[in-house]
Amino acid sequence: MKTNIDPVKISEFKCMREPLSLEAVIRESNRCLLCHEAPCSAGCPAGTDPGRFIRQIRFYNYKGAARTIRNNNILGGVCAFICPVEKLCEKECSIKALEDPININGLQRFVVEYGKAFSLEPMKVSSKNMGHVAIIGAGPAGMSCASSLATLDYDVTLYEQEQQAGGIARYYIPAFRLPEETLNDDITNLLSQGVKISHGKNLTYIGTITDLMKRGFDAVFISTGLSKPFRLELLEGYINVTDYLSFLRNIRHDFTAPELKNKNIAIIGGGSVALDAAVSASAAGASRVYLISLEHLKELPADQEEINLARLMNVIFKAGSQITRVVAEDKQITRLTGIETDWKEPDNYHPSNARQIQGTEFSINVDLVVQAIGTCPDDKITRFARGVEIMGKGTIVTGSDFSTNLPGVFAGGDVVSGGATIVQAVGDGKKAAESIHNYLNKRRANQ
Amino acid sequence: MSKPNPLQINFCGVRFENPFCLSSSPVGNHAEMCARAYDAGWGGVVYKTLGLEKSFRVVMPSPRLNAYNYGDKRVIGLQNTEQITDRPIRDNLRDLAWLKKSYPNKVLISSIMGYDDEDWAELAKMSEDAGADLVELNFSCPQMAHKHAGHRVGQDFHAVEMFTRVVKNATRLPVIAKMTPNITDMVPVALAAKDGGADAISAINTIKAITNIDLDSFTPMPDIHGNSAATGFSGPAVKPIAMRFVSDLYNSKQLNLPVSAIGGIETWIDALHFLLLGATNIQVTTAIMRYGYRIVEDMIEGLTDFMNDRNIGSLDELIGQAARMIVDPSEFDTRHQVVAVVDPEKCIGCGQCFISCRDGANQAMKFNAAKRKVEVDETRCVGCLLCKHVCPVWDCISHKEVDTLTTRHAAIF
Repeated sequence: MKTNIDPVKISEFKCMREPLSLEAVIRESNRCLLCHEAPCSAGCPAGTDPGRFIRQIRFYNYKGAARTIRNNNILGGVCAFICPVEKLCEKECSIKALEDPININGLQRFVVEYGKAFSLEPMKVSSKNMGHVAIIGAGPAGMSCASSLATLDYDVTLYEQEQQAGGIARYYIPAFRLPEETLNDDITNLLSQGVKISHGKNLTYIGTITDLMKRGFDAVFISTGLSKPFRLELLEGYINVTDYLSFLRNIRHDFTAPELKNKNIAIIGGGSVALDAAVSASAAGASRVYLISLEHLKELPADQEEINLARLMNVIFKAGSQITRVVAEDKQITRLTGIETDWKEPDNYHPSNARQIQGTEFSINVDLVVQAIGTCPDDKITRFARGVEIMGKGTIVTGSDFSTNLPGVFAGGDVVSGGATIVQAVGDGKKAAESIHNYLNKRRANQ
Repeated sequence: MSKPNPLQINFCGVRFENPFCLSSSPVGNHAEMCARAYDAGWGGVVYKTLGLEKSFRVVMPSPRLNAYNYGDKRVIGLQNTEQITDRPIRDNLRDLAWLKKSYPNKVLISSIMGYDDEDWAELAKMSEDAGADLVELNFSCPQMAHKHAGHRVGQDFHAVEMFTRVVKNATRLPVIAKMTPNITDMVPVALAAKDGGADAISAINTIKAITNIDLDSFTPMPDIHGNSAATGFSGPAVKPIAMRFVSDLYNSKQLNLPVSAIGGIETWIDALHFLLLGATNIQVTTAIMRYGYRIVEDMIEGLTDFMNDRNIGSLDELIGQAARMIVDPSEFDTRHQVVAVVDPEKCIGCGQCFISCRDGANQAMKFNAAKRKVEVDETRCVGCLLCKHVCPVWDCISHKEVDTLTTRHAAIF
C-alpha cells in the first residue's frame, strides 16, 4: 500500500502516486525475487507480464521493459497510475511472505516514461492486409482490442462518440489519479500502429451492425462501456441530485465547477467512483463530504489507496448505512435521514440483504447528492446490436471468448462485465482480438 | 575484579589493547585524524606512508576514487588512485611525535616507502626518532607513479629482501613488510622479506583494478581528465581474496611470521574470520572511509561478546583455528555426500532455486506450479547447495548427509 499520498497535492491536481527515482527503481528491481512462473504476471488480467519487465529492469534492459509493457498492454502508462495493484499483481507477489510487495506500478511507470524520454522506436505499423474490423467505443477495451488486431495486421477503425479517445480514463477518472498526458501517450502508441479513430460518431450515426458489415467490415467489436447511471427511487425528481458520471466529468480537471465551496455533499456508494467523487468534492472545498455506503469500511469495493486518500481528505464515512428519507423544499433536498445497517447473511453485499439497525438513525444537511451506485449500458445498444443477446440490465452476453450469438460480432469490457477495472477491460480487448483473429482465420480457411 | 581485556594482543613484541588498527591510507593522513581514531577506540594506527620529497613527486589526481556498486548496494568495493602522503616529511614526523607523546599506550606504526637504500634507511631512522613503535614497509602501493617503487618492488623478491635488510640495519624497531596481492603467490615474496629480517607480514594491499567505464565517453572511471588507470581496489569485495592470501601466509611453515590482516574488514565477524585464518593484527581503511572511526566500537563489543559467550579468554585461542582446515582439494573426503533439504513450511514458492538448479546445476529441483512449492529429486541432487545460496529465505534450505554405501548419489555414480 502506498503511504505517500499528500492531500495538498490532490487539491493542486498533482498526481497521488509519486514517481520512483532511479535509485528506488534499482532498489525495487533488486528486491524482486524474479520468480519462476511469476505469480505477479499471473495476477495481471491484461497479461502485462510484470515478472518479465521487472527482470528486464533488474538487468538494466529498460527499453526492453518498455517494449514488454507496450506490446502487452497498450494502456500500460494508464495502468501504472490507476491499477488496483494491491488486489492484482502485488497481491500475488511472492516476497509478501517476507516483506512488503514490490512496487510494481512504480516500476511500470518508470519504464513507460523511460521509453518516452529515450525515444523508444515507434510500434510496428499494421500492414492492414488481414481484414477490416470495426470497434465501437475507444475506451480501454476498444483500444486494447484495436492494438492487438493491428499487431496481427488488421485494418482497424475505432468509432468514438466523444471528441477524444480514452473513455472512462479520459472523462471520468480524476486528473489527480491519472495525468492526461499519460493517456495521450498511450493513445499515441496506438495510433502509431496505424489504427484509425473516427471521433464524434455515436451509435445513431453508425446505425446498426448490419450497416457496418455492409460497409465492408469483417468483424465488429462492441466496447461501448456503461453510460446510464443507476438511480435510487427515493431520490427521483429532485433538482440537486446528480450521478457520478456527470459529477466527475465536470470536476475532473476543474475543482471550481460545479461550485462546491463550503457546501455539504453526500455521495451514495462505496466503489472507486464514489471515492473519486468524494475526494474531488473535498478538494473542491466542500464543507462536509459524506460517503454513504451499505458496505462497511473493510468491505468497500474501492481500493485501500483511495480509501486512505479519502480519509486524509476528511471524507466522513457513513459506511454500513443507507438513506431512509429525504427532506426537501421546492424539489431541493435539504436533509437526508439515514440508518445504520447490517447484513442478514454474511458475504452478500446486495441491498436486499441489508438489515436496518434500530436506534441508529442519523440526519445530515446536504446541498448536493451524488449517486455512485453503478451504471448500465446505453439503451441505444439494443437498436445498434439488434439480434445480439442482451441481459436484463443491458449488458451484452458473450462466451468466454467474447463472441456474441451473432457470427462476427464480439463484445468486451464493461458493456459485458457490467463494470470492472480498466486493466480487466484491457485484458478483455486482447482476448477478444485473438478470438476475432481465430474467427476470421477459420472463415478464410472455409472460403 | 574485572576480567582482563580479552582483546589485548602481542604483535612483534608490542602490546596492543585490541588488534584493530587503521591501515596506511587516507584515514590516517595527519595527527588530528589519528587522535580521533585513538579516541574512538582503535588499538593502533598505521600512519599514511611517508616518502622523501627529493625522491618522489607524489601525484594526487582528481577525482581520485571510484566506487564499485552492485545493484542497489553501494560501494561494495572502492577504487583509489591516491598515492603516499603528499605532506612534507617534517610535518608528518612532528605529527608522529605528537601522537606518541599524547597517546603513549596506543600503538603507532610508521609506514614508509623509499626509492633507494638511503631513503629506506633514513625514513626508518626518522620514524624511530619520532617515536613509532613499529615500521611497516610499503612494498605494495599499486599506484605509485614510479618504476622502482610501490607494488613493482613487491613483485621483485630481491628488492624486497634488500630493502628490508637496509631498514633492519637502520632501526631497532620491529619491521612489518606489506605485501602486494598483485602476484600469483605471495609466500615467496614474504619469504624474501623474512630473509631480509622482517618481523611480520601485512597483507593485502589493494588490488589493481578497473571498477567502471563511462558509457558516453568510454572512459574508465575515475575519469581523470580523459584518462584513467588500473589502481588500488579495496573494500568488502576483496575480502575473500585477502582471506586466501592471509591463510597462505599463516600456513607456510617456512615463513612462520605473525600476520597483520588487511582487506575488506568492516565488522567483528570480518575481523574474526581473519584471526581464525591466522592473523594476529587487523587493519582497516575502506570501512572507515565509508562509515567513520566509530565502527571500532562494534568490533570491540562484538568480538568481546563472542569470546565471553564461549569462554575464550584470549585472542591467541582463536588465531589460526580455521587455517588448519584449509587443505588441497585433492585431500577432500568425498565418500560423505549431501543432498539439499527444503523446508516446505518456509518455502515461499519463488522458484529461484528451481531456476538456478535447472540452468546452473543438476536439474534436481522440481517445481510444483499448482502449489508453488519445490521438491528435491534426491536421485539427481549432487549436494552443491546452489539452491540454498540463492534462496531468499535464509533458513529454508538445508542439507543432509546420505549414506553413499546404500544410496545412489548423483555426484559419485
